[in-house]
Amino acid sequence: MKIDRRKFIQESLNKALGGAAACGALGNLALLSAAANAQSRGTIPSDYKALVCVFLYGGNDSFNTIVPYDATRYNIYRATRPALALPQAGITAMALNPQAIQAGLPGGPPSDGGSYGFHPAMPELRQLFNSQRVAIMANVGPLLRPTTQAQYLSGTHPVPPQLFSHDDQANFWQTSRPDNPNANGWGGRMADLLFASNPNQQLPMTISLDSQSLFQRGGAVDQYVMGANGAETIDYLGAYQNELGTSSFNALMAEGTQAHMFERAYARATRRSISTYTLLNAALTQAPTWTNAFPESNLGKQLQQVANIISVRGSSGLNMRRQVFFVGLGGFDTHDDQLAGQASLLAQFSQAMQAFNSATEQLGIASSVTTFTASDFGRTLSTNGDGTDHGWGGHHFVMGGAVRGGRFYGQMPSLAQFNNPNDAGYGQIIPSTGVDPYAATLASWFGVNAGGLTDIFPSLIEYPNANLGFMG
Amino acid sequence: MRWITKHTSSLWVSLCLIAIGLSAHAQSTEIFKDGFEVDARAQAARFLDQASFGGTPAEIQRLVLIGNAAWLDEQFAAPASLQKPYLDWLRTNNENVYQQQRQEAWFIHSAQLADPSNPLLTHNDQLRQRVAFALSELLVVSDKNAALLFQPWALADYYDTLARNSFGNYRTLLKEVTLHPAMGRFLSMLGNRKTDTALNIRPDENYAREIMQLFSIGLVQLNLDGSPILQSGQPIPTYGQNQVRGFAHVFTGWNFSGCTQASYSDCEPGNPYEQPWTTPMAAVEAFHDTSTNKQLLTYSGAQPTGGLLIAGGNAQQEMDIAIDNIFNHPNVGPFVAKHLILRLITSNPTPAYVARIAAVFNNNGQGVRGDLKAVVRAILLDTEARTGHIGSSTFGKLREPITKLVKLWRLTNARSGNGRVFRYSHIRDEFAQFPLSAPSVFNFFKPNFAQPGEIRNAGLVSPEFQIATDTTLVSAPNQLGWRIMLFYQGSRYSVVYENGVPVPEETLMDYSALKTLAANPSLLIEHLNLHLMSGQISGSMKNLLINRLNGQVPDAVPGQAPGAPDMLLWRVQQALYLIVNSPEFNIQK
Repeated sequence: MKIDRRKFIQESLNKALGGAAACGALGNLALLSAAANAQSRGTIPSDYKALVCVFLYGGNDSFNTIVPYDATRYNIYRATRPALALPQAGITAMALNPQAIQAGLPGGPPSDGGSYGFHPAMPELRQLFNSQRVAIMANVGPLLRPTTQAQYLSGTHPVPPQLFSHDDQANFWQTSRPDNPNANGWGGRMADLLFASNPNQQLPMTISLDSQSLFQRGGAVDQYVMGANGAETIDYLGAYQNELGTSSFNALMAEGTQAHMFERAYARATRRSISTYTLLNAALTQAPTWTNAFPESNLGKQLQQVANIISVRGSSGLNMRRQVFFVGLGGFDTHDDQLAGQASLLAQFSQAMQAFNSATEQLGIASSVTTFTASDFGRTLSTNGDGTDHGWGGHHFVMGGAVRGGRFYGQMPSLAQFNNPNDAGYGQIIPSTGVDPYAATLASWFGVNAGGLTDIFPSLIEYPNANLGFMG
Repeated sequence: MRWITKHTSSLWVSLCLIAIGLSAHAQSTEIFKDGFEVDARAQAARFLDQASFGGTPAEIQRLVLIGNAAWLDEQFAAPASLQKPYLDWLRTNNENVYQQQRQEAWFIHSAQLADPSNPLLTHNDQLRQRVAFALSELLVVSDKNAALLFQPWALADYYDTLARNSFGNYRTLLKEVTLHPAMGRFLSMLGNRKTDTALNIRPDENYAREIMQLFSIGLVQLNLDGSPILQSGQPIPTYGQNQVRGFAHVFTGWNFSGCTQASYSDCEPGNPYEQPWTTPMAAVEAFHDTSTNKQLLTYSGAQPTGGLLIAGGNAQQEMDIAIDNIFNHPNVGPFVAKHLILRLITSNPTPAYVARIAAVFNNNGQGVRGDLKAVVRAILLDTEARTGHIGSSTFGKLREPITKLVKLWRLTNARSGNGRVFRYSHIRDEFAQFPLSAPSVFNFFKPNFAQPGEIRNAGLVSPEFQIATDTTLVSAPNQLGWRIMLFYQGSRYSVVYENGVPVPEETLMDYSALKTLAANPSLLIEHLNLHLMSGQISGSMKNLLINRLNGQVPDAVPGQAPGAPDMLLWRVQQALYLIVNSPEFNIQK
């Protein structure tokens, strides 16, 4: 397969470069790219696409994010969560108006026939759903293959290790490889596969605005980590009458001068940081003023930087055709005081998403940018009193002009406390859709072909339907 | 070059010759050629880099005289420096107390700054503070959690709990951590309650999960050397969801001390300085589960039998049984040993090193399990800690960002006018690190993080690299540079010098001793090589620095008015900046 040959080329090159890995050093990356292009595919697409992962750290309680308001289902919900149920009127006021089913296509009203609304803190996202910019993927979570309650309770059906554990489940969401603790992220593996798509081989395809993300960790492509306030530069370099200081600093960091492996890694990372911020900052001076201002929140600033970078994607700027971004918002691990805590987080999320959507429209590339959510897990239907515990499946959002929005996809779970056919126990809801098909649907839109999808998501073959159809 | 670690240090000079003969690494040659490794002071400086926040000139001299073992005994006997009294002192003086004031106390203790709350305290408990810092990255609580953000006393007292127990028994530490209200808040055991079917309330599983996964045994069964036990090539889980639920039920009924059945759902003190925030949680039996059999950990010799705790015990009884059940699991020794080795010595210890330390954890020689004093002593005196770097190009670890500033302050005798520690504090963001301020219970970085590229390709790990991101590789040098260039005694920078006088709470470095040396750049570099780099500087870096210091002095030196530039000051600034931001300094070897 192509990826294997590519890997072989990379490894050969690594050896040829004297053990200096290709990942960090830009010169090496360009070299590697050239070699890979020459020997395998390497077509540069004519269009631009960006995929943006919004990670809701801690496990968002999606059962208090998308809530039924019809009497039957609301009463079930209320009975299950006496201390945490949101008032019915507030949900009704946030009613969603899903599109009707189109013959032969997935997506439409909620599968259980219920009427659903958003948490009252999310009017912006509601507007985006109702205007078909946002789709809801119901009850997604880590699975090794489709799993029923009977199968789960049998104890013999394979399920991901360490269910309900933050780290392991967040890692699953980001790598889809629970079998391999050292696996790269699926965003990083997409970049490894597609990096030749970018005319500019200096800037990594993957950029994180929220520290090192496992999602973007790759073999050949190493994500660039940027601050939400932009790319800070090293003050010392280029300071007044500091030519010798600058050259001394650069000499300390120069390739080939460090004897210790960790020193080389430190120097390489510093060189990479400097050359990337130099490139980015030069391009970002051309970023526009945003008509619809971004909120001052942390997530708002992160998404604004993403929009800024996308705005200078063209050949006179960064010259990129495929980009993967990672942004994050923490605090969703609401064991305590959930009603207050989650509301402010969802408000921040909703406002930032709206501003970002508006920015892509201003640039005229809404159909080229797809934003999706991921989270450690959904939360339990049962409570800890004023909060909820680690669950399993949860609802997620996909936003963009290429999304068949205004629709629910997948199966809505029961919210019943007793005799719940989706309950793994204690209100931990068994996902009806695996992370793999959810991720693969996005990767497919991004340009990964069938062979590439199988490489990146080995479990995909366990699912009858590898494409969930929420992308147009 | 691990083969060398088995030999005693009395042989190491000749072995070093052999190692160098076999090694192609330029650095090894430099080490020997420059002769610093045979300099007892360099060895002492290196020991103090592992056992403290960096050796001061005086401490290095003293260690040379008394030796490592005697120094350790002194340190084990030194009284613990505590943060809570500092916050109490501030409050008595009507000063505001936020997390930043907890940071002040941490700097006063780790850098041994003059203590304004009690000038008699010398805070000579470097090893204890160093180990407490390492433990704070294992038994994690964080002020990033909204419920703890405005609780500086709780976090200060939590850190004090770590410091008090740094040389105690891990079982005691684990129980005190479990019952600390900061941990109770952070991982939601505080207020945890038995099942209430009518309200669909279940015991909270948060603490039950993390005490096993992160604080004691980890996810898979371990050999004594820290490697996973494999069965048909697969690791064996240490616990499952039944154990998580079992411990979750054990950990019900705990709340702030003084809380009653009636006030259970709302007994948080109104003020952060109130006693319940710094007092162990207490049981309210009405909320403790007495009707469920609880599945605890199973392993050879586990108590209770089969790990099954039969229903009926009260909260305190079941707590002790549960802590014992966890503490005696065979994983705890290798798990804790490896964590401490990684934090103090090297990212990639040999399995044999881990096994030697785990064995000491399991039995300190007098039949006691969990003796941290014995563990710390064994880690620091182990052959691998002392000589593992010789001939190796992978031994060591990336320095943690916050420790770089502390090391710099220790070298330069930093102090402020009134003993307070900086008014302008961006430390946490610039360094992506501050004690008890990790993004989550998973600490600032994970133990298995491997820097993409050469390190990862070699199958090694480099945890601290996880926060050496493109962002912090710029912000940390800038922060250190800002301090070096402008925050020194005599600086005229507007932030540290207002209305003709230094700002009293800004911590300023004293460059006078370094300036004396700077008349001869070689002498200055030799001095900094010993005290910042344990004598490990390469010949090429030394030449590069000397060349820099002999360069043209600019019209204006940072922190001084333009005019007559102070060449000696400028040399000190340049040398410090380039060293603390160099690859060689940043890897503690």
